[in-house]
Amino acid sequence: MAERKVNGISLTVFIACLAFGAVMASVSARDIKVVLLGAAIIALAHLVTVPAPSGEHLYLAIGAATAVPFLVREHAGMLAILSLGMAMAWGVFAVKKPVAGLSGSQFLAEVTSLMAFAMTVVVLSELTIRSDFDIDAGTLPIVAAGGIVWFAVRALIRSLVGLESEGLSARFLWLLALEDWAAIVSLFTSGALFGLAFEKMRWWAIPLALLPYAFSHLAFVRYNNTRITYGQTIRALAQIPEVAGLATPGHSERTAKVAVAIARDIGMHPDEVTELEYAALMHDIGRITLNEPAILRAGYTDEDLARWGAQIIGEAPFLEKVGLLVREQHRPYRNIGEERDESVPLASKIIKVASAYDQARNDQLLSAVDSLELLHLGSTYDYDPDITASLRRIVAASGDLHPSSQV
Amino acid sequence: MNQQNPTRQQRVRIRLAVGFVLAAVALLVWLLLPGDLPDPPWLLVVFALVGIYFDWTAVEINDHLVISTSLLVQITAAVVFAESQPVVAVAVIAAVSPFQPADFRLRRWFEPSVNFGQIVISATAAAALFAFIAPAAAVTPENLPRFVAAAVAASALQGALNFTLVQFIFRSVFGARQVRPWSNMLNIMLPYLGTGVLAALLGAAYHLRGLVTLPLIFVVFFVSQMTFVSYARLREAQDSTLRGFVKALEAKDLYTRGHTERVAYFSELIGTEMGFNGTRLEKLRWAALIHDVGKLAVPRDLIRKRARLSGDEWEQMEMHVHLVEELLAEVDFLQPMVDIAAHHHAHYDGNGYRGGHEHEGPPSLEARILAVADSFDAMTSTRSYRVALSQEYAFTELRENAGTQFDPDVVEALIEIIDARGERYGSPDVDSEEEARRRAEGIRLDG
Repeated sequence: MAERKVNGISLTVFIACLAFGAVMASVSARDIKVVLLGAAIIALAHLVTVPAPSGEHLYLAIGAATAVPFLVREHAGMLAILSLGMAMAWGVFAVKKPVAGLSGSQFLAEVTSLMAFAMTVVVLSELTIRSDFDIDAGTLPIVAAGGIVWFAVRALIRSLVGLESEGLSARFLWLLALEDWAAIVSLFTSGALFGLAFEKMRWWAIPLALLPYAFSHLAFVRYNNTRITYGQTIRALAQIPEVAGLATPGHSERTAKVAVAIARDIGMHPDEVTELEYAALMHDIGRITLNEPAILRAGYTDEDLARWGAQIIGEAPFLEKVGLLVREQHRPYRNIGEERDESVPLASKIIKVASAYDQARNDQLLSAVDSLELLHLGSTYDYDPDITASLRRIVAASGDLHPSSQV
Repeated sequence: MNQQNPTRQQRVRIRLAVGFVLAAVALLVWLLLPGDLPDPPWLLVVFALVGIYFDWTAVEINDHLVISTSLLVQITAAVVFAESQPVVAVAVIAAVSPFQPADFRLRRWFEPSVNFGQIVISATAAAALFAFIAPAAAVTPENLPRFVAAAVAASALQGALNFTLVQFIFRSVFGARQVRPWSNMLNIMLPYLGTGVLAALLGAAYHLRGLVTLPLIFVVFFVSQMTFVSYARLREAQDSTLRGFVKALEAKDLYTRGHTERVAYFSELIGTEMGFNGTRLEKLRWAALIHDVGKLAVPRDLIRKRARLSGDEWEQMEMHVHLVEELLAEVDFLQPMVDIAAHHHAHYDGNGYRGGHEHEGPPSLEARILAVADSFDAMTSTRSYRVALSQEYAFTELRENAGTQFDPDVVEALIEIIDARGERYGSPDVDSEEEARRRAEGIRLDG
């Protein structure tokens, strides 16, 4: 049902692009062959994706689109190329099932943002009383403004679309989309350099546009790989207490999963979510201290464990904040006579709730409902009711909340 | 690290620093004295500021496939000022950034001084080659190939000179030790060639399209630097995280404290001495960092036990070590390093054991290096039952077991590099196990 609706949107967008492109092409003074060639390049550029810092992928097409206003220098021609290009891209995607699922509403996001780019360029150049594009200092700021509009519209639509499909908070997705600015600036610059230089430099403009991007692309790819292995390294180190038999196997991994789900539901910043994930993974690392029999005999408190864990994490200079979150994880969210203890970090409170939930589910083998009840009972001091409420939403959305559901 | 003869090294350093600075200053005076400034002068100021910005925010990393933004700025400047004074422009841009505020704060003088000299000399030579191939002519679409060729040649020359001078400085300071094989030159040159092409095209775009391209050129500089820096930061974060964790977990035991860090240091020394570089050296260092992580999961009293471990206890220890190894092997890029670490107890001649089990086949060179580094540190550091042994005793012991337990080449490499660097480890006059145990009786330490 939902799929049919999505396909409907997709088809409508395709027809609209085709019709608008055809009208513009007929108005344009440009040779139809040039228009079709430009459109084909835009469509083909949708076949190439590059990794972006947020973990998402970007289409090279925005780079190609940036060059169009410089090269075509005519409003109707530019609009024809871009909308016919998107129509062709739709065809490309229909034939070759898209990698990143660019069907339906995501396609709508790409088309809308590209059209917003084109309209910004048209309107701004009309306002500066230039019916035709003239390659001079004025064009660059106009295209740059169009690029900013493209970026914002795309981030906005993606955050709204994601909200509908994956249950992530709009703020989280909006911030995530904004993270890719460096990759996008790089693509824009390449496109603009090509557009500016092509008339004089001819085919030399191709390496001029590709080389800068190639260099940063290398760094992007490596950045991505390192980010993945960094996460894996932390995950592995966090499990040392578990394989030493000093903590429940799988507990830290599950706690991290629940904690991240809560953070996304609440709408924390992506960087904070990563910190929270690391902190949740390592929230029991202090238990490694217990392999000293003397300490085990002497006894210890939750606060000791939190402090030991924070000490270990604190040795890694880049994880200072993560260590702080682990140190505060044992604290109650409010004390007697207080409204709320504002000095307890939100992430620490999330870890406390997520860890307790996992313990209830997997140590005490309670059902989801009973586990949540346990958290509600502890909401006087230990578990922040706002966070428990968020957890309830997540559990409910996963369909696990049915009273009869068993472990 | 403790260095025994600082006076000789100190003298060499002073001589090098003074020599390089004087040479560079003389070169700059000779270039600037005629008073012909690059045109337009304000653009030179902009480029110099941009150069300072990128040099001061740069990070170093052991990865040859990445371009240096400073080099890109310098070669682009050569093309941008091709019609007036490219050599003067590049020399000025190269000269302004090596001395950084942090150097003054930390009272570092040697590195910035030789760096200043080295960069001014190689950048000026590169710019001179550029001006020779593409003499003060207008940049037009027709002679674009000539400019590309000139910029590529200049970039390559600068890379080669840079490499040679740094090698020379290393040799002078550390003796003929840290020589990196020239066969690596090609590997290192590749990004320089790309930099040359890009610089020529950026410069040409400026000449053919005018000032409007300048912001785009600077954005290209900025993005290439920024993406690289964020990548380098992340790598550093990963490195320091593992390092910090190992350190923190080790710290629980007084006797193993610092062991991993030292073994990583010795492994790196031996690796460099044996011609490792780049990713191979990095791999070796990481293997050393994780070689004992498995022990962290073993109960402390088992590790500290003086008596021989019973079969059960061995098994318990082995199981924990093995579990951690499996855990780390799940991290894609750690996999090969876990293999190295897991084999470092194997003997050079293929015999030997690991946890009482026969070992399968002779170990890799990396594992052999790790074995020597590990044993050397074990001997020259204090244990629960004895004080540290002397360096001479450790060397003799390593040589005696060379050919059976240890790889003779690796043993000699370690001894040579430690001697050449004049570093000393262990207690000076403890020349036997008995002596070391006897002395430990007095000082009972407890974790």
